[in-house]
Amino acid sequence: MFELICNVLLWLGLLYAYFFNVLEAPIPDRTARNPYTLKPDVWPKAIIILLLICIAINIINIIRKNRNNPDFSLDALMSIRARLCIGIALVVGASFVLEPLGYMVTCVLVLFFYGLLLGQTHVFRLAIFSVLVTLLLYVVFSVLLSVNLPRGTIPELRNFSLYVEGIVASVKSAIM
Amino acid sequence: MTTWELFTNGFSVLMDPYTFMMVVFAIVVGTIFGALPGVSATMAVALGLPFTYSMQPIPAIVFLVAVYCSSITGGSITAILFKIPGVPSSAPTTFDGYPMAQRGEAGKALGIALGSSAIGGLVSALAMLTLSPQLTQAALSFSPSDLFAVTFMGLSILTCLDSKNILRTLISGLLGLLLACVGQDPMYAVQRLTFGSGELIAGLEMIPVLIGIFAVSEVLKQTKKRDKLTSDESNASVNTKMPSFREWWGIKWLLARCSVIGTIIGILPGAGATIASFLCYSTETKLSKHPEKFGTGIIDGVAASETANNAATGGAMVPLLSLGIPGGNAAAVMMSALVLKGVQLGPLLLVNQPQYLSATFASMVVTNILMVIVAIGIAKVFAQILAVPYSYLGPIIIMLAIIGSYATNMSIADVKIMAIAGVIGLVISACHFNSAALILGLVLGVICEGNFSRAYTISRANLVAMFSRPVAGTLMAVSIVLLLWPIVSGLFKRNKD
Repeated sequence: MFELICNVLLWLGLLYAYFFNVLEAPIPDRTARNPYTLKPDVWPKAIIILLLICIAINIINIIRKNRNNPDFSLDALMSIRARLCIGIALVVGASFVLEPLGYMVTCVLVLFFYGLLLGQTHVFRLAIFSVLVTLLLYVVFSVLLSVNLPRGTIPELRNFSLYVEGIVASVKSAIM
Repeated sequence: MTTWELFTNGFSVLMDPYTFMMVVFAIVVGTIFGALPGVSATMAVALGLPFTYSMQPIPAIVFLVAVYCSSITGGSITAILFKIPGVPSSAPTTFDGYPMAQRGEAGKALGIALGSSAIGGLVSALAMLTLSPQLTQAALSFSPSDLFAVTFMGLSILTCLDSKNILRTLISGLLGLLLACVGQDPMYAVQRLTFGSGELIAGLEMIPVLIGIFAVSEVLKQTKKRDKLTSDESNASVNTKMPSFREWWGIKWLLARCSVIGTIIGILPGAGATIASFLCYSTETKLSKHPEKFGTGIIDGVAASETANNAATGGAMVPLLSLGIPGGNAAAVMMSALVLKGVQLGPLLLVNQPQYLSATFASMVVTNILMVIVAIGIAKVFAQILAVPYSYLGPIIIMLAIIGSYATNMSIADVKIMAIAGVIGLVISACHFNSAALILGLVLGVICEGNFSRAYTISRANLVAMFSRPVAGTLMAVSIVLLLWPIVSGLFKRNKD
């Protein structure tokens, strides 16, 4: 059922894109008048038409194959585990909070909560692990590979990132 | 530049201590990544990408090639010791490797796996060095219509790869082609399919999409299972033993066959190490005098699978370097990284930047030799590494994916694209679509459309004239046959039944 719903949604989405989103700016006059150029909308529209045909056939195939399948119902959708949905929410959420919270806080939160999600029961050990891995990844990417990791836009968290970075920098200069 | 000059230049590049250290580091990282279940070779290369951001292009390509080759070999360690293929291409290794380990011959199985991996890798590296210049010479005379036909052929091969799911593979490939249209069109910079988002005007950044589809979606899948990966006490101490010369001599033709087949499979766009290892395993079963022994724990089975999957690595680099077409998913990730570094992949690479081919070759040779030593050490300690629960490993992979996507352009938008691509990867898997086809469509889409547009204008909108050139015409005919063959053969089969 999940497969069928995905295919139907994809088909509808493509139909919408075909009519409203293929071109989002007018074609330049010179291009529009030239009979020997391929207009910018031709290629994506051709692909969408092929996709609409293929997905329609796929939908028919799915329905035909599952006609006598008792598991093929909306109830089957409930089998999508809650943990998976939380996992998706964590990953998508992390991508959205990375800018305001910055690398340090986001990394600790992701490591901790994803660890819990994957079945880790030792909460204290997981918390220590999250902090240590955050620092390790910071040292590898920011210090050794010169990647400017985001510090966050919330002033308090930004100051916290700067404080930790300061400690790492002083340790680095002491070693060097 | 002659083949000999390419050969010597490659090794002079590796004489640089920094580059050599990078190769050694990459072998360690790649072997560990490859051995970790759930981390495919593509994922290993994708996770290795952030390490290359601050590198010069040559150390970057050397590093990525070393990660790629060693991750394929690393996959055999867990396949033999725990019956868990570290990479999908090591799946056939479990058929004979694990029974050998159960009989107490884990060391011998590892020895044959590492040795045959090195042989397959070295043969394919030599093939890459000799074939790439020839292919480049031919490709330099290609017109836009020829180049379109080449890329179209790359796409058409996909239908042959998954003959049971032709329709879904086609849908995946077409979805990839459509995603490649997001952003400005290649000829007139008109915005398409951006849905009003300013962040999509420049198009979809390849690396976050690849990381999302291959790395993040795998971790999300593991979320459903909630399995903990623990070490097997019986294999806690493993001493790798190299088989005797007599045993090697006994499988000389098997090694030769699998090296050649693996290299050829690797060259085909869309095919890769997994197909090569399965194909060689089944071929050797058919050719063997004792097919009944396959699957019971014989060295032939381990050697066939491991020679082929490593031979495919060199093969995959041939179309990447000489035509700019990735031979597989890992090659597609490498392609994105190298383009970001300003490397002009394709026919002009050997003319303008031959040092990249030399460096790739040298890296493959050194990696295939050094990885045997590194993998022996890693196999010994891997029983302990595997004791790390996935509840620690999974979150680290997610964070590496986030950092890797962000570091591409220091852009938060890329992290969002990666997260969405991860969810799409999960849906693709649930709907039985083919992620390899989608990626190939995405990678080849821009090249395909750009060349088609140019050829269309040059031929004054005459499609017949466009494909009247011998190369374009022949390749298009072959492509159409490849596209239709599985459908036609399926119909014939149905009629027979």
